[in-house]
Amino acid sequence: MDRTVGRRDVLKTVVLPLVAVATGAFRDRFPVAKTGETMTSRPLMTVRIAAAPAQKLGAVPHGFRSIVPVTGGDFEGPRLRGRILPGGGDWLLLRPDGVLELDLRITLKTDDQALIYMRFQGIRHGPPEVIAALGRAESVDPAKYYFRTLPSFETSAENYAFLNRIISVGSGEAQPDGAVHRIYEIL
Amino acid sequence: MTSRPLMTLQVFVAPPERLGAVPHGTRVIAPITGGSFEGPRLRGKVRPGGADWTLLRSDGVLELDLRLTLETDDGALIYLTSFGVRHGPSEVLAALGRGESVDPSKYYFRTAPRFETSASQYAFLNRLIAISSGDRRPSGPIYSIEEVL
Repeated sequence: MDRTVGRRDVLKTVVLPLVAVATGAFRDRFPVAKTGETMTSRPLMTVRIAAAPAQKLGAVPHGFRSIVPVTGGDFEGPRLRGRILPGGGDWLLLRPDGVLELDLRITLKTDDQALIYMRFQGIRHGPPEVIAALGRAESVDPAKYYFRTLPSFETSAENYAFLNRIISVGSGEAQPDGAVHRIYEIL
Repeated sequence: MTSRPLMTLQVFVAPPERLGAVPHGTRVIAPITGGSFEGPRLRGKVRPGGADWTLLRSDGVLELDLRLTLETDDGALIYLTSFGVRHGPSEVLAALGRGESVDPSKYYFRTAPRFETSASQYAFLNRLIAISSGDRRPSGPIYSIEEVL
């Protein structure tokens, strides 16, 4: 699933044509460079979140607000693994255009006792019948809806300080009692 | 993770406003004077008036917090915000600081742009997650933005 495009290919297709643009001769014109496939990624971890029933606040100024308390869970990847501490949550907002915005904050505790603050913003949307099935807590193939997040991390633990310095993306799967997020580090 | 090209965005910046040491690090604000963007589904100009509110953290990571307005060639306005990070070996960052051209593969410069628009033909931008790879040029950054599929 990972896209692996060599940096050299990127240089050829994207950077070199843009050199001409950036020199200023075409400054007032649109860049004519072809957009390239620049993104490579690698698995960071899979996060499994266990959640309590949502607190449905109803219609608020920006949409419909639901708050989902996080009760626990776990995470595992090549470089870290551990448990999710209870106490975080996901402050969901269903927008008038049908897109569900996610705003999650949780604390991870690694198996060597480091604490990591993780948060993400994300979006979830799909065909009405698929979203309705999710609302009935049915299992749905995650390929049938779009559920993507942008996790970021904070930690003071030296061995996990790399988390403070990366951009990452998550692919989510809603489950009846929580969610599973497959998170990739953008290289 | 799979993605596809969304656009290449070139931004021109004015000389930065150096605010110096603030509670979270060293704050530098780079006003945006213009630019342009082009991709398979949209193209146009960057309106003057946005900026990147950069913060150099104590761990050497530069946090980027960009806000700007895009205007497409068919007259739609798109609000773009982007959070990102930039870091690398100290000699590479020093060269960037001196305004030299540096191979972007020598440092990590990645951002996560978000979009808002009321234009129905660009409403797909309201519904996607995107990531970008940046290339800091003396005139300003160039971002290769990809839609996360």
